Amino acid sequence: MAALLELRNMTVALGRSETAKVILDDVSFSLAPKEIVGVVGASASGKTVLSRAAVNWLEPPLTRRSGTVLFEGRDIYAMKEADMRALRQRVSYVGANPMGALDPTLPVGAQIVEKMRAVMPDVSRRQAEDRVIALLDAVRIPSARNRFHDYPSQFSGGMMQRALIVDALVTNPAVLVADNVTQPLDVTVAAQVIRLIKELTDQFDTAVLFISSSLPMVREASSRTLVIDRGRIVEEQATEALVASPIHPYTRELVAQTPQIWRGAGAVPALPAEREVVLSLRDASQTYRVKKRNGIGGVNLVRAVRNVTFDVRRGDSFAIVGESGCGKSTLMRLLSRLELPSAGQILCEGKDIATLRGRDLLAFRARLQLVLQDPFGSLPPRTSIGRMLEEPLRTHGWRDKEKLRARVLKVMLEVGLAAELYNELPLGLSAGQRQRVNVARALVLEPTILIMDETLSALDQAEQFKLLDLFQALQKEYNLTYIFISHDLAMVRKVCNRVAVMYLGEVFELADNQRLFFDPGHPYTMALLSAMPTLEEKRYKPEDCLLEGEPPSPLSIPAGCSFKSRCPRAMEICNGEQPFLTVRDEQDFAACHLVARTMSPAERASP
Amino acid sequence: MFTLNFLIRRLTQGVVIIGLVSLLIFTLLRVVPGDPVRLMAGGMAPEALIEKIAKDMGLRDPIIVQFGRYMGSVLQGDLGQSFVRPANGAATGGANFNDTTRGERAKVLTLILEALPMTLQLAAVTLAIALLFSAVVGIAGGLNPSGWPDKLAFYISSVFISLPNFWLGIVLTLLLSVKLGWLPAIGYHGFAYTILPAVVLAVEMSPVLIRTLVGAVSSQMTEPYVSVGRVRGLGRTRIIANHVMRNASVPLLNLLGIQFSSLLGGVIIVEYIFDYPGLGLLTINAVLQRDFPLIQGIAIVTSAIFVVINIIVDLVATTIDPRLDY
Amino acid sequence: MSIMSITSSHSSTPLASRSLARRVFDRAVASPGFRVGAAIFLALVLATALYPELSAIDPTKMDVKARLLPPLFTGTNWNWGHPLGTDQIGRDMLVRSLVGLRYSFLIGMASVIVMLIVGCALGTVAGYFGGRTDAVIMRLTDAQLSIPMIILAIAVLGVSRPTIPAIVLVLGISNWPVYARMMRSVVMTERQREFVRAAKIGGSTDLRIIVTLLLPLLLPSVLFSSVLDVARMMIFESTLGFLGLGVQPPTPTFGNIIADGRKYLLNAWWIATMPGLFLGLTLTSINLMGAALERARDTVHAGGE
Repeated sequence: MAALLELRNMTVALGRSETAKVILDDVSFSLAPKEIVGVVGASASGKTVLSRAAVNWLEPPLTRRSGTVLFEGRDIYAMKEADMRALRQRVSYVGANPMGALDPTLPVGAQIVEKMRAVMPDVSRRQAEDRVIALLDAVRIPSARNRFHDYPSQFSGGMMQRALIVDALVTNPAVLVADNVTQPLDVTVAAQVIRLIKELTDQFDTAVLFISSSLPMVREASSRTLVIDRGRIVEEQATEALVASPIHPYTRELVAQTPQIWRGAGAVPALPAEREVVLSLRDASQTYRVKKRNGIGGVNLVRAVRNVTFDVRRGDSFAIVGESGCGKSTLMRLLSRLELPSAGQILCEGKDIATLRGRDLLAFRARLQLVLQDPFGSLPPRTSIGRMLEEPLRTHGWRDKEKLRARVLKVMLEVGLAAELYNELPLGLSAGQRQRVNVARALVLEPTILIMDETLSALDQAEQFKLLDLFQALQKEYNLTYIFISHDLAMVRKVCNRVAVMYLGEVFELADNQRLFFDPGHPYTMALLSAMPTLEEKRYKPEDCLLEGEPPSPLSIPAGCSFKSRCPRAMEICNGEQPFLTVRDEQDFAACHLVARTMSPAERASP
Repeated sequence: MFTLNFLIRRLTQGVVIIGLVSLLIFTLLRVVPGDPVRLMAGGMAPEALIEKIAKDMGLRDPIIVQFGRYMGSVLQGDLGQSFVRPANGAATGGANFNDTTRGERAKVLTLILEALPMTLQLAAVTLAIALLFSAVVGIAGGLNPSGWPDKLAFYISSVFISLPNFWLGIVLTLLLSVKLGWLPAIGYHGFAYTILPAVVLAVEMSPVLIRTLVGAVSSQMTEPYVSVGRVRGLGRTRIIANHVMRNASVPLLNLLGIQFSSLLGGVIIVEYIFDYPGLGLLTINAVLQRDFPLIQGIAIVTSAIFVVINIIVDLVATTIDPRLDY
Repeated sequence: MSIMSITSSHSSTPLASRSLARRVFDRAVASPGFRVGAAIFLALVLATALYPELSAIDPTKMDVKARLLPPLFTGTNWNWGHPLGTDQIGRDMLVRSLVGLRYSFLIGMASVIVMLIVGCALGTVAGYFGGRTDAVIMRLTDAQLSIPMIILAIAVLGVSRPTIPAIVLVLGISNWPVYARMMRSVVMTERQREFVRAAKIGGSTDLRIIVTLLLPLLLPSVLFSSVLDVARMMIFESTLGFLGLGVQPPTPTFGNIIADGRKYLLNAWWIATMPGLFLGLTLTSINLMGAALERARDTVHAGGE
């Protein structure tokens, strides 16, 4: 087949000088009509620059040093500006940042129409509008005709990414370059978006260059895959062959690093069942009052966390998982007493933490510490590391300078920070080092419970593994209890013994690791598992359990089961009656009518 | 519905603001030393007469009582009468003390309403000149960050902001009016008399406008939608005209709302220099003559205008950018 | 200990640990605008500090023989003894301007300090605690922003005696809302930051967080803006002087010199214009430095450099 798009010896550098860093090094490949080709590589491997080079979108300081791109045999770098603009009708692009891609002050529909008419001047406004609405419908944006007039800020990330796919496909292009389109999305939404791209490009005969940092995603989407490492294409194979028998060492590493979930036994050691309860939630709820935009003086109630009940026992590695907006961050704030629950109780070693004052509160703070998510925002930029680590001790009454210093240096040693960093500001530290400082700051008070709020999500795989090892070693040494707040099921599978799955502020399922992954009791858990990007054979077929749409707004949670609008197994009873956590086994629970049905009424005790 | 809610909320806030302003000015004028009655009656008036006048006018009651009485009549649309100005025009200072036939004193509202249109005319011409000039310099600067238009904008605004308006007024009068005879300057006998004061005010105003525009335009140019617009097939001109300008106008609008009172501050001085018969001249004379009712009236009217302008600005801003929520 | 072996300590190369404020300052100093401004400013400061004493000319001394002398190279009877000429009663314009500059600069600085203290304190409280406290403080700033500060200033100074402390206080008090708003908005965003959360988890009190974490972080960027306000306050000071409400004669200030000179505009143009030029030059130098600092701050904070 003749090539539709062909990159020839493309070399791109960061800057014009001879010594400038080379980002793309002599990259050549071609894309046939209707073909879907995947490109996979780590962050900073040059894959985004590759996607930009393919569509003639290199902006300073990126400089094309040599090579070119042919589209249907025409050199797009030799074209006049106006011709290139006209060619954008046939070559389109979707990027990783859907929220910034459109002017925030104009309706989404109007902007897609504007783009369509800019590259296809013959199309009338009416025709363009009709086509855009038809396509918005095709990407399953609910009530497309109304959403056409909505502003970008009124779209969720997933919706916006769909709208941008419409924007790219509205001119019926021959090539679509999709750069990391699933990166900012939750797994279930990402899975939907990939499916959409495959469907639509098939329908319109569009060839796709699908670029991603995730090998499972690329495998999902493409028939042929290129592997890029440090600006070079190191391997190219049919996708299945590449996954089955990678040749280049880098590809092998990539395949090996992709987390496994079902293969092999769980790595988590079994813990004795009878352990002391250290943290206990009793119907904890948090409701925020948000001023209504419409209506006079009214408030909307956002029910961010609803009646959460569970126990955490000493030595647990307890995971709270869920997608964005499920209430896990609010729950973190409740657990760490940054906020007080609007209803219900949180008991720490038997005492309601809301009632703690003065000395008792300080003692609680020493017992329970939090390691935050953002390695950059969580360290005050103008405070030296030593001073930063001493600060919690000072607020807890430590005064002796020598003792302070000794304690801080000991903790720094434990988390693997060199003592020389004591007097440094955090400015020059890597993300991994910063996260170690965060861990040290939490550990310095010798807590018994540590909450990890997406602590690892900003780090790359290798660094994540190192920190997880550190956590496990610390847990052994000090008998710590961990609460991991995460969206990363693979990590949870690897380190946590107990998992709570949250959706719209509720706990949908609470189970031990093995049970949750191998015998989930809730359709939502199953959907999450089926959408997980992995290279293994899927245990749960996406066709059976993949979700449509997105979670309803926490402003108006529907009556009955809050999951019913997306549940593939919704029944009559789900409309009227809200399911509560129901015992499935001694310590496994799920909030679904399906579970309740198979139980005798006597067993329906609440946890 | 949103607009109605917004209007109700903002108007309520506005009433609070105006109330605070009145209270502030009212108290201020009564706690600082200096007896207005002494000025009204003239230096030679006997102490007993002054006390009598003061009592008659209620000036010896507790401040809060006076304030209540004052606000009561303000709510009925009566801003009171000037202490010193007769109803028939021509400002007089403290004339003869036995000539206090109070019925002849000018109504504050009338005085303000006479002066206001003149000031509005001046403000409109000023805004036109300042906006035109700043738009050219500022947009050019914002589109070429660290190029020569940017540097030009930087130096122009640094120099302009350093020229005291009263001095500039004097220098321009000397040059353009006295030496060259191009423009009339002192007093008001036709539209041409507005131009020179307006130029002085525009020079004072434009540096902030230029800086805001340079900042807004150049930061919009780094927004992802501008760069993505290119790969979506939109031309640079289209992106700038349809999107960048639209977004950059929001900070400019907000600035205009906030700058209103400093524009008015400039107006006061400039009107004084050019003897331009507007609100500013009225204010300065009122202060120098300790004409309390007039000062209060002016404060209430200007803060009311400020409130209204800011409501309009915010309404326009929300129609441009629906994310804004005031 | 087993943990030590797991963690490879990262290389401890010298770290780029310049603080933000330092970076802003370095960046500003490197810009030509700042350098021009600083050079002019230094020259003026030296002249202001030294010339009146060195030349031993009394700024208030009358000299009827030398009245209405024009500045250098203008008119017919200029002389080197009075580079900027003399006024209607023969006082030396250069010395008068330089002495005026001293007052103007000191009053400008002092009133900026007053407004910084009042504005930052109220703004920080409003931004950090939010809710009702915030609403009250914000209505107050709105109220004050809604009337031109010059009305307030002349209303107060017009009826009480304009002494230097009174002028400083009035200027400072009438301008605090700008800082209150600025501080409030940055504190509002900063208090959401994770390191503030971390400090709370560590058990720090609100006051401790404000004083040890937020203020050291936020004040420098506010201080960069305040350079421009020194110039603004100097203009206001001279405006007050021009209206006769500033420092009273015989002490020379830009405002009262220009107001005086205005009467002789037609036969001695230099009396009103020369001090203004002088003031303009001073303000330009300050404004160049201030604008360069503000610009550098915005670039550095936007992640530039």
